[in-house]
Amino acid sequence: MKKLWIALTAAFAAFSASPATSQEKLVVSVWGGNWKDGAAIIGKEFTKRTGMEVEYITGGTLDRLTKAKVARNNPESDVTYTTSHVGYLYQNDGLFEKLDKSKLTNFNDLYSSADRGDYEVGVYSYIYSPVFRTDLMPKGFRIGSWSDLWSPEVKGRLSMPDFDPSHIIIAASKLSSSTPEDWKNGIPLLLKLKPSIKAFYQSDATSQDLFKNGETPVEVMLSINAYHLIGQGVPATIEIPKEGAVVGIGALGINKGTKKLDAAQQFIDIALDPVVQQQICDFHKCSPMNKKTTVSPELAKLPGIFTTEEQWKTQAIVLPDSTYSKLLPIWKAWFTEEMMH
Amino acid sequence: MKMDWRALLFWTLISALLVYMTLPAFVVIMASFNPGEVLSFPPKGFSVRWYIKAVTYPDFQIAFRNGIIVAAFASTLALVLGAAVALLVARYKFQGRGLLEAILSAPLIVPHFTTGFGFLLLGAHLDINQTYLIIIIAHVVLVLPFVTRAIHVSLQNVDPNLERAAANLGASPLKSLLRVTVPLMLPGLAGGWLMAAILSLTEFSASLYVTASRTQTLPVAMYNYIREYTDPTIAAISALLIVATTLIMIVANHFLGLRKILAIEPR
Amino acid sequence: MQTRPLFFALLLPSIVIAAVFLFALAEILQYSFREFIPGSLDVGGFTWANFARINRPIYFYAIVDTFWIALLTSLFTLVMSYPLAYALVRTERNWLRTLLIIAAITPLFTGEIVRTYAWMLLLGTEGMINTLLKSLGIIDTSLTLMYTRLGVVIALVQFAMPVMIILLATAISHVNTDYEKAAANLGASPGRVFWRVTVPLTMPGIIAGFIVICAWTMSAFATPQLIGGGKILMISNVVYLTGFSALNFPFAATMSVVALVSAFGALAVMKAISTRIERGTALHS
Repeated sequence: MKKLWIALTAAFAAFSASPATSQEKLVVSVWGGNWKDGAAIIGKEFTKRTGMEVEYITGGTLDRLTKAKVARNNPESDVTYTTSHVGYLYQNDGLFEKLDKSKLTNFNDLYSSADRGDYEVGVYSYIYSPVFRTDLMPKGFRIGSWSDLWSPEVKGRLSMPDFDPSHIIIAASKLSSSTPEDWKNGIPLLLKLKPSIKAFYQSDATSQDLFKNGETPVEVMLSINAYHLIGQGVPATIEIPKEGAVVGIGALGINKGTKKLDAAQQFIDIALDPVVQQQICDFHKCSPMNKKTTVSPELAKLPGIFTTEEQWKTQAIVLPDSTYSKLLPIWKAWFTEEMMH
Repeated sequence: MKMDWRALLFWTLISALLVYMTLPAFVVIMASFNPGEVLSFPPKGFSVRWYIKAVTYPDFQIAFRNGIIVAAFASTLALVLGAAVALLVARYKFQGRGLLEAILSAPLIVPHFTTGFGFLLLGAHLDINQTYLIIIIAHVVLVLPFVTRAIHVSLQNVDPNLERAAANLGASPLKSLLRVTVPLMLPGLAGGWLMAAILSLTEFSASLYVTASRTQTLPVAMYNYIREYTDPTIAAISALLIVATTLIMIVANHFLGLRKILAIEPR
Repeated sequence: MQTRPLFFALLLPSIVIAAVFLFALAEILQYSFREFIPGSLDVGGFTWANFARINRPIYFYAIVDTFWIALLTSLFTLVMSYPLAYALVRTERNWLRTLLIIAAITPLFTGEIVRTYAWMLLLGTEGMINTLLKSLGIIDTSLTLMYTRLGVVIALVQFAMPVMIILLATAISHVNTDYEKAAANLGASPGRVFWRVTVPLTMPGIIAGFIVICAWTMSAFATPQLIGGGKILMISNVVYLTGFSALNFPFAATMSVVALVSAFGALAVMKAISTRIERGTALHS
């Protein structure tokens, strides 16, 4: 009897400890789905050059931030792949290590928008833009301007993300001749959009489901997801409205407290290598951050792929991360309470 | 055998209701064999590729292992605690007994997400959020009312005279408990343990809060997958779970008699 | 007789687990009064602000919707479970009883996620229900079931039925059939026997079932989350939305407190009503 108790207590104590941490693997926190496969491109090259295996833990952008904050003293990952303005929240909370830029061999070849400060660096970019089903919308329907989302043909057929309302809010503020910081001027316009919205999506998967199944033939969608669906044969068109499309930047940062600092630095360095950049962008249909990346002509033609500083200036709406991350919670609170109800 | 219209109507109703109750299981199994990513009903072909993907997907493998570990500890712990509580309440009268009973059955009313969130906050204070411990504690609290009920029911079927007889023969209360009562309660204990294990394996709302990326259980891993991928892999793994659960239920019914455990005994 | 040591051996673990649970709830209560610092998980000092936010339309309607959905679900579950429970208890064919038990009870143990996913496959615009109805020519355009309250309730009822069936079956199995036979002998039709004798005798079970399903449904999460898709918000979804999506732990805690109070409040109200009903339908011997 006594032996049983001792055994049980010992086992219990053993399991009070964390599950075995992988000593020899680099752990990368990334979004799930295709994003993980894209990160695996970097991982494969990393393993080839260093011999170290890579392990991925996945989740939504903000879920991972919450879990990272909760796990502050014992980080679950060494490297974090996240959206740059959310990365700003990580660094603000002391969750990122300072990057050693001298170890980033390709840093000087990067577009200016790749520089996101001392704690994270942009690896690729995508856009959020209106996408529509050419087979489900009236013939000749086009989206030349964000204001087309307010047209009668879109009524009850639109969806947009519920976790990030920034794109529509920025668009509305531009249409109201205002800046994103003075977004409140766009509120009357936004409230007029409510009848057009059929659903909100909470994840990349739901966003694709809504569009694929025809539930919402018009969607404010992430370009990479749109190209994925087009590649699967869904008849759709993505356009950059004349006011521009809101850019999202995928960035890499190093988790504070990691025990594999050098390996993490190397992972980021490899991510910015022109050949790796080309592979990532061919896979995702995203825009590279390294100017020296060879972008195929077919890819360069696609909306949202920026290969010149000129395109960055005229088509891309890029907000500084600090502004974005300060405004986002305010936007979210307002959006949840006023638009989603 | 003549069936009048009333009986016919009744059994039609029953059949319709049974269809409603089992339809989800059938559609999941059907979708799991869909050859492509985009689903069609009925499927345009047959393929087991999603089953292969489901079983080889690392996150599911790790989550399955986590679930087994947590369920094993949680259900065993819940069994011991549930037995203690059931015996305590059945055999002793003391001040605050009602309150204790109320608190321990409260998890039935308190939403799982509230319990989970509370344990997340508690775990943060105690810095045990990356461990199995916090999940096990949360699960024990959540399944305890079910286990206690099952044990309570089986305890009621034990004739107290048998314990008195043992006492008269010189056995201490502990001895008579272990040598007389417990063996008589065995079917109830087994049923309670099984119920606790299954409830722990399938628990989602609270686990979503208390699990970390490394310790996530299968339902949480599946939820994340639904949010990240749009292919029928979830259908495949769901089909496996449905079949497994049904088999367990059939076996449990055969050996333990589900009616006894669920207290559906006609007089 | 040394009853004392055994008593304490049984009492101590019971108190420990009760205390652990109370600590978890206390944490939530404590957080609900703390100030939210945007962008951080750290919290400020004491404030009523979180509770003041509850009457913003979206949160208020989430609370109302939670009650409404719970009520609808319980009603439909009751009506649809009674026939199955009755058949389960009263049939004389063992194979049928086993079939009913397995078919009715098994869904309960497959878990929220599996069952919700299954309903997603059924309710979608291109889902099985719409495909079936369209191929049978019953409808021309797809019914909108996903992202609606109707879709959520349809799924929740199917979730709740196993529990209701168990509780009703217990009650029905304890009915002394002598009363039914007596009524029949006195000339009552089967329908009358059912409504005037059987149902009133099972009233405690009906009430218990209704209360349990109501409380259970109020805490539903995965179903409104995945099937409601952000358009149907129950309290559980608001907690997740504000806690994990907006990092506002204090407000998430506040809504959790609301959920708790709602659950226990509803329970108290229903218990009060049920005592009245039981008195009215109990057999006076």
